[in-house]
Amino acid sequence: MVHTPGVSDDRQANPLVETKLHIPSPRRNLVTRPRLQVRLAGAADAKLILVSAPAGFGKTTLVTSWLSTVAGDGAAVAWVSLDERDNDPALFWPYVLAALESAVPGLGANARALLDTAGAPADAVLATLVNELHGVNRDVFVVLDDFHVIDHHDVQEGLTYLLDHLPERAHLVLTSRADPPLPLPRLRVRGELLEIRAADLRFTNDEAAAYLNGAMGLALTAADIATLEARTEGWIAALQLAALSMQGREDVADFIAGFAGDDRFIVDYLAGEVLQRQPESVRRFLLQTSVLDRLQGSLCDAVTGTTGGKAALDALNRENLFVIPLDDRREWYRYHHLFADVLRARLLDEDPHAPAELHRRAADWFAGHGDPSSAIRHALAAGDVDRAADVAEMGLPELRRSREDATMRAWVQLIPEDVVRLRPVLAIGFVGALMSTGALDRVDDYLRGAEQWLALTPTARDAAGMIVVDDAQLRTLPGAIEMYRAALALMAGDIVCTVDHARRVLTVAADDDDMGRAAAYALLGLAAWSEGDLDSAFADYTDSIARMRRAGHIADILGCSIAMADIRVAQGRLRDAQRLYEQGLQLAADYQAGPLRGTADMYVGLAEILRERDDREAAAEQLQRAQELELFGTRQYPYRSRAVRAGLQLAAGDTAGCLELLEEAEQVYDTDFSPAVRPIGARRARAYVLQGDVNAARAWVRERNLSTDDELRYVTEFEHITLAIVRINDAPGERDLQQVGAMLDRLLASAEAGGRGSSVIEILAVQALAFDARGDTPRALDALRRALTLAEPEGYVQVFDSLGPRLSALREALVTGSARPHPKQQQGLVDPLSERELDVMRLLRSDLSGPDIARELMVSLNTMRTHTKNIYTKLGVNNRREAVRRAEELGL
Amino acid sequence: MCAHHIGSYVAFVQYEIRVKGHLDSRWAAWFDGLSLTRADDGTTVIRGPIVDQAALHGLLQKLRDIGVPLIALTQLRPEGE
Repeated sequence: MVHTPGVSDDRQANPLVETKLHIPSPRRNLVTRPRLQVRLAGAADAKLILVSAPAGFGKTTLVTSWLSTVAGDGAAVAWVSLDERDNDPALFWPYVLAALESAVPGLGANARALLDTAGAPADAVLATLVNELHGVNRDVFVVLDDFHVIDHHDVQEGLTYLLDHLPERAHLVLTSRADPPLPLPRLRVRGELLEIRAADLRFTNDEAAAYLNGAMGLALTAADIATLEARTEGWIAALQLAALSMQGREDVADFIAGFAGDDRFIVDYLAGEVLQRQPESVRRFLLQTSVLDRLQGSLCDAVTGTTGGKAALDALNRENLFVIPLDDRREWYRYHHLFADVLRARLLDEDPHAPAELHRRAADWFAGHGDPSSAIRHALAAGDVDRAADVAEMGLPELRRSREDATMRAWVQLIPEDVVRLRPVLAIGFVGALMSTGALDRVDDYLRGAEQWLALTPTARDAAGMIVVDDAQLRTLPGAIEMYRAALALMAGDIVCTVDHARRVLTVAADDDDMGRAAAYALLGLAAWSEGDLDSAFADYTDSIARMRRAGHIADILGCSIAMADIRVAQGRLRDAQRLYEQGLQLAADYQAGPLRGTADMYVGLAEILRERDDREAAAEQLQRAQELELFGTRQYPYRSRAVRAGLQLAAGDTAGCLELLEEAEQVYDTDFSPAVRPIGARRARAYVLQGDVNAARAWVRERNLSTDDELRYVTEFEHITLAIVRINDAPGERDLQQVGAMLDRLLASAEAGGRGSSVIEILAVQALAFDARGDTPRALDALRRALTLAEPEGYVQVFDSLGPRLSALREALVTGSARPHPKQQQGLVDPLSERELDVMRLLRSDLSGPDIARELMVSLNTMRTHTKNIYTKLGVNNRREAVRRAEELGL
Repeated sequence: MCAHHIGSYVAFVQYEIRVKGHLDSRWAAWFDGLSLTRADDGTTVIRGPIVDQAALHGLLQKLRDIGVPLIALTQLRPEGE
């Protein structure tokens, strides 16, 4: 809510993403290479297919033509074209997951949802991905093209993990100019590596002949071909260039002789030949646009200062002049990397100043076309750091709105610190990103710096060289600074300081600084909630939402709705909470700009309320809806959805399944700064108790260092109630029960004073258990009656059911009006009858036959007989009639 | 060369990189002004001061990216030693 790193809400419709995931179509004029296809036919047995060779060896071409055949066999292909920018795990993995999604719809959805959770460990994301890959029953090839641009240690480590855990039908395909630092020897030994290297890729004499005379339509003699093959050493890029230079040439033999005998760097030489044969306008176009990583008509026009860029690109594509289409619409292209480098070297040689100017034009185009990231890179390439910083500053509000935190972090890396220090708006804009990476030193540096700038008079600011390009943002700076100071205090767990700074936001921020005020109210709400002041918290969140609406900033409203509904639930107002979730869903439905983040959380919230009311089927339905939208969950979604599912398992009597889900929930636990009022550990302890594993529950108590004498606070209330449940079920002595009873009295008083209705109900129910354990049935029933009375209007059910069979027995007793004594209180019995044995005993008193009783209890006849035998032993009797009489004597 | 202009903090080291094929002198700018010498044996020697290991690796990467085969890499003794 305060700050949510991770997701970019406008994942769709981003041309960059689309071009990166585009599977290149197989080239025209292709030479079939059966010898390589045969080797690649073994790919289905390999985990890693590595195509490792220098630039221009036809790696990508080989992989695309091979994969076009396997795709026909029903295999799925996920493709990522990598570039230098992707050398960051925060960008790399989303691309891989997006590629998988486009290859197999739905694949990687869980991993993606996890990835969007800030702080989710990469291992968990990849483990989830591996699980999902296991569910795919066809071959999946994940292609990482140009992997040599990636040298980030974390990415390599992640890939190693992936390789170690890939299911049989998932395969990684890397093309690279350098061997990747993956455990290749190990894979080789296990026969899990399929390698295609430079020696394999070089064109043989036959292939060269097929290409030159076949595909390219040249009529070369065998001797010419042999000469070319020898001179190029089968280097495909060189052969391609040679073919292009020879097309339509009369003096082919002379041409071949001309370069066969010397030592010139062949690609450079041949590219020169090709360029020379182009009209001057095309030559200029090629050189000038070589500064671009991606080519598009109007972009090329902007860079060259002419028109006709689109036509020029289409012509280059038709003539096979080293442009590669990046989409199916023939809008975006790129040059073949090797050719681009040759062009750039020539451009630089012809006019050392030209590249800077061309990059500057490219920067302007990208800045004007909503791609500030590319604009910044080109501005930096032009050596214009100030322009880059200007673009970044202007791009901040949009980036914040769309929450592209990984992009923001990349900008922080790109723009030098001393440039940022002169720009308070930019500095404060970067603070959010720096906070999410934990670079708190720089956060402090930038905050102080900005405070110092603001303390100066306008004249002094100018004199000292302060730069602000966006005055609108400058006005919001004082509020923003206090806001970040408040957030820092919150991260440090200092509630007093948080409130202090948040209040100051309300003082210093302009009245129309709706976003600043919205954030401050949200922080105040958070602080009040953490202190257990639920009414104030609710009011603060209400104010926060009102401000967000005024600012037209709908994206964060649902985050507040979650908090407000949580508060209503804590207050025991389930229907009000339900209404908040429903309003949230209405808001999401009315939202025009695409799915609203937090929508999935609304369904989870409804599911939780339905679970409490024991409408399990409807709860499962809501969870299903949530899952369909899980990409639009908040940071809390992964754990909250699992926790609700765990609760449903518990309700269904599956404690093992419940515990499994709780463990998952713990791994992805992130409350997004909300107070952890129902921690997973305590929920687990309760499940252990139900499972009969008191040891595990006791271990949790020790680990949390909980005691019945603790000072009570709202944030630990749930844990202390859990402590009472554990102690009551842990063979308590009279003294234990006294201590638990005293704590429960204090808990109840505190919950009643704080208006926490849900807690009051639960504490009363636990009190009933405590009294019951002490043999004080009247007071037990009294407490339970109070709890049930409070619970009835809102429909609470599970709060009672989840406390175990003994509480159910007490409820039954309330209904039938006669209390069955606690097993411990069965006077005169050394070894009291168990719950189940009491059930059997009850039926033994009826007229039912043995098999009928077994049927009634839904157990086998054998089990029933075992129970009967145990009952006889415990009661010291030999037959049914004696047992019935003895039970009556004992009041069982 | 220009090391002393930048300051004595930067310890430039001279390197010599030999690659296969004759690289035209127009590539000098691409390789940040390092000198290119074409030898009779069909190789090119790229020589000059390199600021640190990272720069050296960057240079090797540039060579890799244009597909020039690498033959030898030598660190030259500082002058006067």
